[in-house]
Amino acid sequence: MTRIQQVLFAVEQPYMGHPYYVSGNALYSAIARHVDKATRRRLQVSHGVFVPGEYGSPTDGAISLRGGQKLGQMLPDVEAYEDLFVHRDSAQRWLSESRPRDAVNTHPLQRHGNRVAFAAETLFGRPEEMRSERRRVPWLVQCYVHADDDAVLPVAEHLLDGIRVGGARNFGLGELSVVDSQLVDLAALDYSTLEAADAFELELVTPFVLESEFPDADAQSVPWWWAPDERDATGGVRRRAERFVDGADVYELGTVDHGQVVPYSGSKPVATAKNGVFRVGTHSRFGFGELRVRPAGAGRVPEREGRAGGDS
Amino acid sequence: MRDGQAGASRPGSTAVDRDGDGDGAAGAVPSMVAAYRHDVHKLRGRTHADAAAEFRGVPVNENVPLHADADAALLSRPRGKPEQTVPAHDSPRRLPLLDGELDCVAGEVEDVGDAVYDLVRIGDAEALHAAWVDADVPALFSESRYYPFTSAKYHTLLVAALLDNYRAGHDFADLFLAVSEHGPGSDPKVVPHRTVVTTPSFAVHVTAEPERPAARIGDVPTRCFADVWARLPTVPFDVDGKRCWRVLDAQLRRVRSWSTALQYVEAFMAALADDAPGCGPPVAGWSV
Repeated sequence: MTRIQQVLFAVEQPYMGHPYYVSGNALYSAIARHVDKATRRRLQVSHGVFVPGEYGSPTDGAISLRGGQKLGQMLPDVEAYEDLFVHRDSAQRWLSESRPRDAVNTHPLQRHGNRVAFAAETLFGRPEEMRSERRRVPWLVQCYVHADDDAVLPVAEHLLDGIRVGGARNFGLGELSVVDSQLVDLAALDYSTLEAADAFELELVTPFVLESEFPDADAQSVPWWWAPDERDATGGVRRRAERFVDGADVYELGTVDHGQVVPYSGSKPVATAKNGVFRVGTHSRFGFGELRVRPAGAGRVPEREGRAGGDS
Repeated sequence: MRDGQAGASRPGSTAVDRDGDGDGAAGAVPSMVAAYRHDVHKLRGRTHADAAAEFRGVPVNENVPLHADADAALLSRPRGKPEQTVPAHDSPRRLPLLDGELDCVAGEVEDVGDAVYDLVRIGDAEALHAAWVDADVPALFSESRYYPFTSAKYHTLLVAALLDNYRAGHDFADLFLAVSEHGPGSDPKVVPHRTVVTTPSFAVHVTAEPERPAARIGDVPTRCFADVWARLPTVPFDVDGKRCWRVLDAQLRRVRSWSTALQYVEAFMAALADDAPGCGPPVAGWSV
């Protein structure tokens, strides 16, 4: 098992589900209705990350993008390990500087009844005097699927098309359509940035489950190759409760929240990197426990590096 | 578009005037006060080049020492030559991220000139900070016409927070984003100059001496709000209990510009106070 299938969906209707991401469980449940029994049994689905359908470059604004591509509406080629994560960080660092990137990357909120939904597109030109200049930026969701039997992949796009996720699905909300899909072989990727480093950090791309009310799910401690105790004394690791919905049943999960960064004390960063894509811990089949390995100190904000200073 | 800071000293790199007499100019205005008055030209729709030295007799638009203005700008806007990101909006007015938020703010301001004067004429630095934290009028303006979703209000508060930390001998790399909660009815924990936003239930601070949950900001100023927020050891609201807090948390993990993010906190909290959208008890299926 070394392959994943990345899928990029367009958000066709407002979404009223989990605000951080579309959970892997929600995506799995929606997909499972359309696929055959073998696929249903073997398929594993990541969380879906919201992506604005805007211009941009995976090199974080380093390249001028005038007349460039709407990176938010396509799956970029994946040659190196880092390329897997272009869309998977909600800060979406690839967004072009020549557009209002933060406005593009913030969900417009809509009221549906007494609940807040995310609109399917962002409209620019809201003030009255700008009506004629309206510009629409659609929202997309990126996820990836894999299976313990690679024969399950690829899942045909028509089976993924038209799924609905989140609340009020019966009223048409949360409809997704497939925009792009591609297979990636993790064994064929370039891991040279990890091979060149000698100290590493782990970033939790999705929450890591410590405790679960789900029947027969054991409580887990963090993996031995995390070293959270070595963090400086500013508060430790953030915890967050999650809920796992199985039909009519809702189970509480205790997690280490996504976005947290911990030192890595293992000795096989490339192997950990691959495992992190296939996810670790309880409920990993439904998106939890996705990890990214980074060279220590490389940080998530590339502009921090190479600043000469004094030229601002 | 830097704000006339070329040649200013980096804190800690050279001997600098840390006792607040300004950056070598003969002005009598203490530098913390100057920090709150340095961008009055933006609230009056003028460029830096056209900035007047006084506004109704109050000295304004002075350079801020210790590179605090330029560093704060880098927290919210790209470095280098600015680009017009919303060509249809060539105006000093800020554009809202939440529909209708500016109508609420504008409703509180009768006359922009009077409101600006009331805000900047205050002579005491701590009182100035307290007034800016609560102020409406600077939230009507962006910190640059090129980046209309930024906020002149929160840029100014960030300048003051950086300057106060720099004057205490800290470098940018020493700074943390810190958060604090206050119970209903209790006073917010406002730290003069270092509290950058307060709401009815929590406050956010930029400080080198965090007494509370905090995340290190990084070695150099850049648009990293989402990154730092995601690394906080705790968030100052109950994301486990109410979906609206998860919505706010999710949005703050997406916004990289500091002044845009802090303004979003203010706008979101104002919208919540109006009618608490989505803040009812969890509905079945809400987490799907």
